[in-house]
Amino acid sequence: MSSIAGTKSGLTWAVHISVALLVALWLFPTLGLFVSSFRTADQISSSGWWASMLPSEQNRTLRTADPAAQVQQGALWVIEGNLFEGGTPATISAWGTSSRDIAAYAPGETADLGDDGRLTVEANGDYRLENDQEFSGRRGQRVFATARTPPEFTLGNYRNMLLDPSNREGMTRAFFNTLTVVIPATIIPILIAAFAAYALAWMRFPGRALLIAAVVGLLVVPLQLALIPLLKLHLAVGIGKGYLGVWLAHTGFGLPLAIYLLRNYMVGLPRDIIENAKVDGATDFQIFTRIILPLSFPALASFAIFQFLWTWNDLLVALVFLIDATGETTVMTKQIVELLGTRGGNWEILATAAFVSIAVPLAVFFAMQRYLVRGLLAGSVK
Amino acid sequence: MRRMLMAGAAVVALAVSFGPGAAQELMVPIGEGAFNWDSYNAFADKHDLGGAQLTILGPWLGPDQEAFDSVLAYFAKAANVDVRYTGSDSMEQQIVVDAEAGSAPNIAVFPQPGLAGDLAKRGFLTPLGEEAAAWMRDNYAAGQSWVDLGSYAGKDGARSFYAFPYKADVKSLVWYVPENFEDAGYEIPKTMEELKALTEQIVADGGTPWCIGLGSGAATGWPATDWVEDMMLRTQTPEVYDQWVRNDIPFNDPRVIAAIEEFGWFARNDKFVAGGAAAVASTDFRDAPKGLFSSPPQCYMHRQASFIPAFFPEGTEVGLDADFFYLPAYAGKDLGSPVLGAGTLFAVTKDSPAAHAFIEFLQTAIAHELWMSLEGGGFLTPHKGVNTDLYVTDTRRSLGEILLGATTFRFDGSDLMPGAVGAGSFWTGMVDYVGGKSAEDVTAAIQASWPR
Repeated sequence: MSSIAGTKSGLTWAVHISVALLVALWLFPTLGLFVSSFRTADQISSSGWWASMLPSEQNRTLRTADPAAQVQQGALWVIEGNLFEGGTPATISAWGTSSRDIAAYAPGETADLGDDGRLTVEANGDYRLENDQEFSGRRGQRVFATARTPPEFTLGNYRNMLLDPSNREGMTRAFFNTLTVVIPATIIPILIAAFAAYALAWMRFPGRALLIAAVVGLLVVPLQLALIPLLKLHLAVGIGKGYLGVWLAHTGFGLPLAIYLLRNYMVGLPRDIIENAKVDGATDFQIFTRIILPLSFPALASFAIFQFLWTWNDLLVALVFLIDATGETTVMTKQIVELLGTRGGNWEILATAAFVSIAVPLAVFFAMQRYLVRGLLAGSVK
Repeated sequence: MRRMLMAGAAVVALAVSFGPGAAQELMVPIGEGAFNWDSYNAFADKHDLGGAQLTILGPWLGPDQEAFDSVLAYFAKAANVDVRYTGSDSMEQQIVVDAEAGSAPNIAVFPQPGLAGDLAKRGFLTPLGEEAAAWMRDNYAAGQSWVDLGSYAGKDGARSFYAFPYKADVKSLVWYVPENFEDAGYEIPKTMEELKALTEQIVADGGTPWCIGLGSGAATGWPATDWVEDMMLRTQTPEVYDQWVRNDIPFNDPRVIAAIEEFGWFARNDKFVAGGAAAVASTDFRDAPKGLFSSPPQCYMHRQASFIPAFFPEGTEVGLDADFFYLPAYAGKDLGSPVLGAGTLFAVTKDSPAAHAFIEFLQTAIAHELWMSLEGGGFLTPHKGVNTDLYVTDTRRSLGEILLGATTFRFDGSDLMPGAVGAGSFWTGMVDYVGGKSAEDVTAAIQASWPR
């Protein structure tokens, strides 16, 4: 690019702008998810997250205090208070008492409710409900208010997920179970794949090309095909459902990509270094540990990130190979699904759950991200 | 990073103290309250399994799971069993994988009889025996129909009782907000004619009568199948309904088409449905009832099963802020008051003495009464021998009484049809129908998909 004199600045700008656009495109939904994670279910279903940043005009259904709160003043029974008690204060611009006409009155006006008395509502939500006879019933008078409500956010979803006593224990256990699954399931395939990749890249033996072709072929086999036969095998050889089984499964499903990626990277290492080492009498193992491994670090790291993210977010493999009916083994993804409730009724915690479960992968990513860019190019540039 | 590791280490230290499957405490001490403790003691005297493990896989999560766990605690104590219940929202897929591979739990709780029937046919379920079936015939209201619900053809083709129905839902309900009806001066309709008149009345008054939502992820369309089944029961005799479910009359029989068009009268009219007919298929069934409570109300009525209050806005008290009425029958047709329902089924997927003891436990009155007294799960039971005063709310009691007093009780037909139809083409067909396809085309396509 830089070799084309004169066009550099224009192209650079184009690149910068398109990068900025792509970043915005990716971050925008994440931002929405982040904002939604601080809103209640009723808020999410009634307005978009973008509307939550500014005060908004909302139609709200409020209630006066219960008849139990009435006091007798002379000949009158009176209930007084504020409609926004216990909630966010807002400014009322119109109100009504019937669902047929929700903006019948302006603030300060008095509505005649017939047998139910007279109701006066002020702009700040203060109300006075008075009647000549005693109020009865269990619920206060409904008041429909059109009110300008300031932005309102809650930590309730996070509290529910992380601190609620009935969820806390399960979440903590799921967190450590997930780590127990993910760390070996990341390390084992890398160990095996590094050896295999070296052999496929630099050792000469008959059938090597066929083996490479087979590995590439395995890349396109969907893992769902293997679920039931593999589980049957695990049960038959006595591994059963458990950590060992899920490590083996993740290893198997991760290996084709790992070998392919590492082999292509290693093949691109300078031939001279390896031949020099051979001339100097180094064995294959010495070449592998002293030369290839240090040089392949970016590729190893980037595959580690891939495998870590994939196993961290995995639900399917864990459900099939790990989670049995005793309920002792569970993973984060499964725990989050459980929090949704029987028919997915608590969907408001989804956004929150996304941010809780994203925390560890994000930390891993930022710790290793400088390798990722180099590693992504693994095998593609010689 | 290091700080995180340290925090992690601190949590590890905390986590070590967690023992899995801690024993649950009993919510009511044995012998207290109006419960049938005799049935508990009789069961406890008969069974001691010496701490054997029993695993149960079911569809309940969250508060429903808590409620079920508290019932299980009594079984664990009475029979000395280590009971483990795991809930999963993908239970229907998981049980198939586990049964195929041979790692099934002892007991599986099926939300749909269709799936239980499939597994029975492939030999994965253990028959519960004629004794359990006879008990059900005698002790459940409309007992024979419950036995039929749990009876399937096994691997050898012989029909036997495989799945024990416990916990029922009533489907023929219309939910509304009493205060909104009061504001507008509407009365609760007693007949289908009145319901239709009320629907037109609301439109004439400038309102929208119905909220209907068919969206449900991969199962989109099922709420419409409930509508159609309700309309079948209100326009045809129960015998015709049974023939339809068994495909003894074709799906595109004019009587079925007429029932679908009854549903279409409500759902395909832009003025009758909040958001217009186009919104019906795209609205999620969980969000649909919220229109009842918005300000101003988006709609006045919502037809849904007894579980729906779980999706009402927070703080809504059923019976006060929201209520239901029975979806009425036509006064002009002499068909009684038919009720559509559903139930969850307990089947033994891995045989063990504890599993059979558990099925016996479900036959005690106490197993029903304990869950009746809990909020979670919306438990209803057709068991005739329970003390209905124990229902947690008046609303729940009146729902339970609908179940006990139905003159015609029929199960959700889509659950009884083969999976390819009841959990497939019937759902998608109804989505096509509300989208504007004719009932004739839709039913012909469903009939063509019926497995031979």
